[in-house]
Amino acid sequence: MSKVSVIIAREYLARVKKKSFIFTTLFFPIMMAALILLPLYIANKADKDCTIYVLDDNDYFINKFQNTSKLTFVYPGDELNVLQKKCINGECDAVLHILSGSQSNQANLYYYEEPPMSLKGKITEQMDKILFDQSLVDTFHIDLQKFKAIKEVSRSSIATLQIDKNGQAEKHTVEINRIVGMICGMLIYIFVFLYSSIIMRSTIEEKTNRIAEIIVSSVKPFQFMMGKIIGVSLVGVTQFVLQIIFVLVLLTGAQFVVPQLINEKQVTEMSEVSNMNTNSELISEDATINAQDDIFGNISSFYSFPFKTILFSFFFYFLFGYLMYASLYAGLGSATDNETDSNQLIMPVSLPLIITFIVIMMGLGPEHPVIRWLSIIPFTSPIAMLYRLPSGVPVWEFTLSIALLVATFVGCVWFSAKIYRIGLLSYGKKVTWGDLIRWVRIR
Amino acid sequence: MIEVQHISKCFQQNKALDDLSLSIAEGRIFGLLGPNGAGKTTLIRLLTRISIPDSGEITFKGHPLTDEDVAHIGYLPEERGLYKKMKVSEQAIYFAQLRGLSKAEASRRLKFWFKKFEIESWWNKKAEELSKGMQQKIQFIVTVIHEPSFLIFDEPFSGFDPINAEMLKKEILELAAKGATIILSTHNMASVEEICDDIVLINHGKNVLHGQLNEVKRRFRQNRYRIQLEKSDSADFSFVNEDNPLFHVINRNEDDFSTFFELQLNSEGCANQVLESFIKHGNVLSFNEILPSMNDIFIRTVNSLNHQQ
Repeated sequence: MSKVSVIIAREYLARVKKKSFIFTTLFFPIMMAALILLPLYIANKADKDCTIYVLDDNDYFINKFQNTSKLTFVYPGDELNVLQKKCINGECDAVLHILSGSQSNQANLYYYEEPPMSLKGKITEQMDKILFDQSLVDTFHIDLQKFKAIKEVSRSSIATLQIDKNGQAEKHTVEINRIVGMICGMLIYIFVFLYSSIIMRSTIEEKTNRIAEIIVSSVKPFQFMMGKIIGVSLVGVTQFVLQIIFVLVLLTGAQFVVPQLINEKQVTEMSEVSNMNTNSELISEDATINAQDDIFGNISSFYSFPFKTILFSFFFYFLFGYLMYASLYAGLGSATDNETDSNQLIMPVSLPLIITFIVIMMGLGPEHPVIRWLSIIPFTSPIAMLYRLPSGVPVWEFTLSIALLVATFVGCVWFSAKIYRIGLLSYGKKVTWGDLIRWVRIR
Repeated sequence: MIEVQHISKCFQQNKALDDLSLSIAEGRIFGLLGPNGAGKTTLIRLLTRISIPDSGEITFKGHPLTDEDVAHIGYLPEERGLYKKMKVSEQAIYFAQLRGLSKAEASRRLKFWFKKFEIESWWNKKAEELSKGMQQKIQFIVTVIHEPSFLIFDEPFSGFDPINAEMLKKEILELAAKGATIILSTHNMASVEEICDDIVLINHGKNVLHGQLNEVKRRFRQNRYRIQLEKSDSADFSFVNEDNPLFHVINRNEDDFSTFFELQLNSEGCANQVLESFIKHGNVLSFNEILPSMNDIFIRTVNSLNHQQ
């Protein structure tokens, strides 16, 4: 046992001490955080204050645009070319020219420097509203107050609630379950392949460098293989724990920023837009409110998640999925002299995991029979079960999946150990699966 | 020290070792010879417990060889390497730990060897920064650091320059003088003749020739002699071309001062008579038996066996 621990220590320290380990450990969470925060940041940054000069050939829209904290509409009454020059001089950010006659619902927006992306949408929204309100009154002779009252009574909303066995209902959203499951599955997918291929690469390196021969004259190939697998798995766990801590730190930091981004700016602007025409009701208002409901509903249901179960399952499936694949990668890696050959050998082994990943990405729901079966089959369960888990899984299926995974892991280690002891010292010949089966039979 | 009894080992259809028996005496340097693919590496892997024989038994110091005995074995494989990115001292200590030394003990002994080889400045170097010859030195240290009583060197001289090869030879002889039993597997017959006490020749997994080096050489003597005679006007060696009942000449050459004959004695011929007949005709400067080199013995044995098949 002490020799195995010597191997574990070396495999672990050699990797943890590397600069690339520190880099990837920090890089991944930063990238994740950036992916989440950057769009929000950009969206906010881009919403700079804009001044729009309005030129309406029909004088229909004059003084009807509502100024907001970001948008200021001015009606200078000059000719188009004068306004355009002013725009070039930087007096305004854009010139809105509403066309004459039958084209009175169409407009050109001239700009010199690229305005915020959202500007066009905001102006269109306002124009739509002005036209809508006006046509209610002018064409259909409907009183705006009445219309507002009608809208008020005809508003509905749906909340999604999940019930458990005890009949307790919990406010959940189907989507969030899927997303959490998908992310967990994806992380496992990345980790399993990442660390398994580390094992494979280092096995091939030891073999081609002929270090293997020195080592196996001191320790059993099985001890060597297990030491390596355990050592690298500890690297994975270390990296993962560090990343979780780092992500939590980042998110805690971001919490002070993100709500400000959402609440103060976007929300106030939403309400500004919706309240801007006091005697009119907006179609988009409902959508806005519903969207807000959804966001906050999702966040609250996110916090009520069965975190403990998911965390446990995540570590369990991560560990055993990794151990299973890592031992296969080690065994198959030992049978070849280079990565190209071993990738060919590994293809049938890694294919199930890749297919599962694709199936989930295709959007099959957690309740789909295919996903259900995939969550029980050991080669695919690490991803598929994690995907299903947040949406609830019967205990017997969960137990069966775990039992099968553990059993397969033991089988894979046995199989790989058999190959490893021969493969590690066989050079030159390109190995086929037929050879591998023969190796397993050798005493 | 080591007895190998009726060992067989098959790889699929290929019989790598076929009922092989041999014994290695304590404190001697044992040459393991054989053509490529004869089964030398397979035998070494059995001796180091890397693999297990299909049948037969290996005893080590009187008991069947077990995994525990591996701690007393030092093995320098033919194909050997180091972790490129790891400091040489760290990996030497690692390998020593795998051989059962404690970290502190391994470190202490490693310092001794680094000092002995005057390579202390390499301590913190990574293997990839060292030349091949330098790496070989580290590998040699790794092989002997746990002070094994039984050492196996598989082609130890390959990759060494003459100076380092000489140093390595000296180290091997020193280890033997201290009582270690050593197996030297090599194709370099000159070094076999220089340092081996006993040899075994393996062909197609079988022991085809073994014994003490000198005794084996004598066994292959062919009654050949080499005689050196002074060149002079009076000397007349025409008699050697006649039908001589004692010998015939297989080679003749000369330099400015002397004439050399390589003689094959006939079955009735004896060295004294031959020498007498030459003394009558000229001034003999030297006369010695030509013993076959290990190279000749190797080639003759293997060729004759292969022709039989």
